[in-house]
Amino acid sequence: MFLRVQLPLLLTFLAGLIPIVAFFFTEKARLVKVPNDRLEKWMIIIAGFAIMLGVVNVVQGNIRKIERKGPGWHYAIFLLIGLVLPGSFGLLGAFNVGPFHGISPHADGSPSPFSFFVSYVFQPLQATMFSLLAFYVASAAFRAFRVRNLEATILLLAAVVVMLGRIPLGESLFAWIPGGKLALGTFTEWLMNNPNTAAQRGIMIGAALGAASLSLRVILGIERSYLGLEKD
Amino acid sequence: MAKIKEGGLSTALQQLDRRWIFLLVAVGAILPILFPIGLSVTVTPPVRDLFDRIESLTPDDVVMVSFDYGPTTKPENGPMAAAVLRHCLARRVKVVVLALFPIGGGAMATEELDRVAAEFPTLRYGTDFVNLGYKDGGQASMKQMGEDIARVFPSDSRGTPLSRLPLMQKVRNYRDIKLVVSLATGIIGDWWINLINAQFGTPVAVGCTAVSAPKFYAYYDSHQMIGLLGGLKGASEYERLLLDAYPQVKPVYDNPMIFNAMRGMDVQTIIHAIIIGFIIIGNVAYFLGRSRAARV
Amino acid sequence: MSIELIGTWIAALLTLCLFSFLYKDNPFFRFAEALFAGVSLGYYIGQTANNTLKPNLVLPLVHDFRGNYDLVIPALLGLNLYTRYIPRIAWMARFSLAVYVGYYTGVNMVQKLQGEVLPQAGATMMPLLGAFPIAGTTALLVTLAATALVLGLIDSARGHLTRGAVIFVSTWIVARVVAQVAFPLAADALDNLLLFVGVIMVLIYFFFSLEHRGAVGGMSRLGIWFLMLGFGAAFGYTVMGRVSLLIGRMNFLIIDWIGGTVRAIGG
Repeated sequence: MFLRVQLPLLLTFLAGLIPIVAFFFTEKARLVKVPNDRLEKWMIIIAGFAIMLGVVNVVQGNIRKIERKGPGWHYAIFLLIGLVLPGSFGLLGAFNVGPFHGISPHADGSPSPFSFFVSYVFQPLQATMFSLLAFYVASAAFRAFRVRNLEATILLLAAVVVMLGRIPLGESLFAWIPGGKLALGTFTEWLMNNPNTAAQRGIMIGAALGAASLSLRVILGIERSYLGLEKD
Repeated sequence: MAKIKEGGLSTALQQLDRRWIFLLVAVGAILPILFPIGLSVTVTPPVRDLFDRIESLTPDDVVMVSFDYGPTTKPENGPMAAAVLRHCLARRVKVVVLALFPIGGGAMATEELDRVAAEFPTLRYGTDFVNLGYKDGGQASMKQMGEDIARVFPSDSRGTPLSRLPLMQKVRNYRDIKLVVSLATGIIGDWWINLINAQFGTPVAVGCTAVSAPKFYAYYDSHQMIGLLGGLKGASEYERLLLDAYPQVKPVYDNPMIFNAMRGMDVQTIIHAIIIGFIIIGNVAYFLGRSRAARV
Repeated sequence: MSIELIGTWIAALLTLCLFSFLYKDNPFFRFAEALFAGVSLGYYIGQTANNTLKPNLVLPLVHDFRGNYDLVIPALLGLNLYTRYIPRIAWMARFSLAVYVGYYTGVNMVQKLQGEVLPQAGATMMPLLGAFPIAGTTALLVTLAATALVLGLIDSARGHLTRGAVIFVSTWIVARVVAQVAFPLAADALDNLLLFVGVIMVLIYFFFSLEHRGAVGGMSRLGIWFLMLGFGAAFGYTVMGRVSLLIGRMNFLIIDWIGGTVRAIGG
C-alpha cells in the first residue's frame, strides 16, 4: 500500500514543492536552489522519455488492429511504415550508426534520410491537414453565423469588423469620409485593446485561478486521478 | 431551378452543397497567387514596438529567437521568423536560435535560419549567429536556461559543444540576452511571458498565430511583452517596416519564389471578402426562411 | 531529376491526397492520414533521440560518468515510465509519473499566479482620472459613465437585466464619442473604466456560486456581451489564421511544384 499509493503521492508532493519553494529564494540559497536545478535538469530527460510514450501506445494499438484485420486495417500498415522509417533513420542518424550521420541535412546541402522525410513527407502532411480548416471555417461562417439574438449579433459584428479591419482594403473602407482614412483599422485596434482585452483578461484570470487551485489539489494529494487512483 | 421554385431561394441557399463553397475559397486563394494585387498594409503599434526595440539594439547585443511552431502554422509564423532574423542580421545584432515546439520546431528553426543567414555571407556561424536546435522539457528547459544555457544545450543543432562557439562564450543565461522573440503556435509563447519574463525579467515579444492573437493583447496591454505580431497581418506589417528601413532586403521580398506575408495579404483580402459575402447571404437566406415560415 | 524535385513531387501528391477529402472521403485520403500520424511520431523519435537523449543523457554519461552520475536517476525514472505496459508491474510507473506531474504542477502553480493573475489584475486597476489640465472634463465624463453603471445595476436589481446593461453601455458610448471629438485625453480614462468594468463583469459571469439574478444577473449579462466581443474578434482572427495555412499550401502547389517542374523541364 505504501509503495503503490503513499510513496507516489509523497513524490508528487516533494517534486511539486521544490519549484514553489525555490521561487521564493535567490541563487545564494544553495540548499534550495541546488535540488531545484537538479530537478530541472532531470526533467528535460524524463520529458524526453515521456514524449515517446505515445509511440508505444500507437504501435501497440495498430499491431493489434492488423492482427484482428478490423475495418481499415491495411491503413495501419502505412501508419507503422510511416513511423518506423523516419524513426529508425532518426535513431541511427542520432548515434551515427553505419552510413547514417546526424539527422540534419548534410554539409553539402543534400538531405539526410531523416531530413528528406521531414521536408517532403512530414512537413507537407502536417501543413495540409491543418489547411483543410480554411474550407470548413468558410462553410461554418455560411451555415452557422446567424443574427439570431442580441448576443449573436454582437459576436457577428465584432467578427466582421475584425475581418474587414485586418485586411488592406478594409482598413481604409471609410476613406471616402473626411478624416475617415484608416478609421476601421484604428477602430479594430481599439476593439482588440479594450473590449477584447477585457474579455481575454477575465477568461485568463478565471482560468489561471482554476489551474492554480487544481495544482494545489494535485500537490496535496487530493486529486489523484493522474496516478490512476480514485479520490478518498 | 425546380428546387428553387419548390422550396424558395432560402431553402436552396441553406441546402447549398458545401463543395461549392470550397471551390470558391480555392479559386479565391489561387487567383491572387497567380496575379498578385500588391495591396499595401498599415502598421499597428504592437508591431512597431518590436521593430523599434530591435532597432535600438547594437551589434554587441544578443537576441534569442525561439521557434515554438511547426509546419502546421509555417505560413503564418515563417514570414515573421524570417523578417525578425533578417532584421537582426541586417543590424549585425547577434542571434541565438532555439526550438521548443516538439512537432517540427527544430526543422523550422534550421530551415529559416539557414535560408536567411545565406543572405548575409559576411556573417559567420558561431560568431554572429548560433542554432541550438530543439530541446524537450518545456518549462524545465526554459527555467534552467535562466541559470545556464549550456546545461540545457550542451551542444548546438550540429552537435558542436557550446564551448567551441565564440558567441556562446559571451552568453551564459538570460542576463546576457537583450530580447527574446518567440514565434509561437500556442502555449509556449505564453510561457515565455508568464514564466520567463515574470521570473527573470527578460523582455519578451511574441509572433503568434492569428488564432491566439486576441489572447496576447491582454499580455501586451499589461506590459508583460514589448511587442506582438499577430498572424499574417502582423508579419506583413513587420515586412513593410523592414523594407522601408533596409532597402537592401528588397530583392528577397521581390522574389516570387520566396513566399512572404505581404503577398499573402492579397489572398486574405479576397477570401475575407468571400467569407463576409457568405455570412451576408447566409443571413439573408435565414431571414427569408423565417419570414416565409411566419407567413405559413 | 534532382532529389529535391522528387521530394517536391512526393510532397505535392501527398498534399493532393489530403485535399481530396474536400470532395469526399476516399482511400487516398485515408492512406495520407495514416502516414500523417505515423510520420509525426517517427519525427518525435528522431528529434528526441538526437536533441535530448543523446546530448543531455548518453554523451555526458559516456564521456564523464563520475561527473554526471546523477543522470542515472532521470534515466531510470524515464525508463520506468514504460513499466505501465507490463501489467504485473504497471503500478511502478506511478513513481516516475508522480515526479513528472508533481514538478510541472508546482511550476504551473507559480506561473499562473505570479505570471498571470497578479500582473493581469494589476493592469486592470488603472487610473480613471486623466492628467491635468483636463482633469475636470475627464472627471465629468467618467462620473457620468460610472453613474450610468450604478443606475444600470439598480435597474438590473429590479429585474431589468438587459435594460440595466444597455443604460451603462449607451451612456459610456456617448461619453466616449464626446471625449474622442473634444477631449482626447479623457478617452483613455473612459477606456480604462471600460476595461475595468469588462474584466469584473466577465469574472462575475464565470462565478457560479451566486445565482445570476438581479444586479448580479445584470453584471453577468454585461459580461456575456464582453465575451461575445472577444469571441467575435477571435473568430475574425481565426479566419485569417486558417486562410494563411491554405495560402501556404496553394503557394507550394503553384510556385514550388508546378513552377519547379516547369523550370526543371525548361532546364
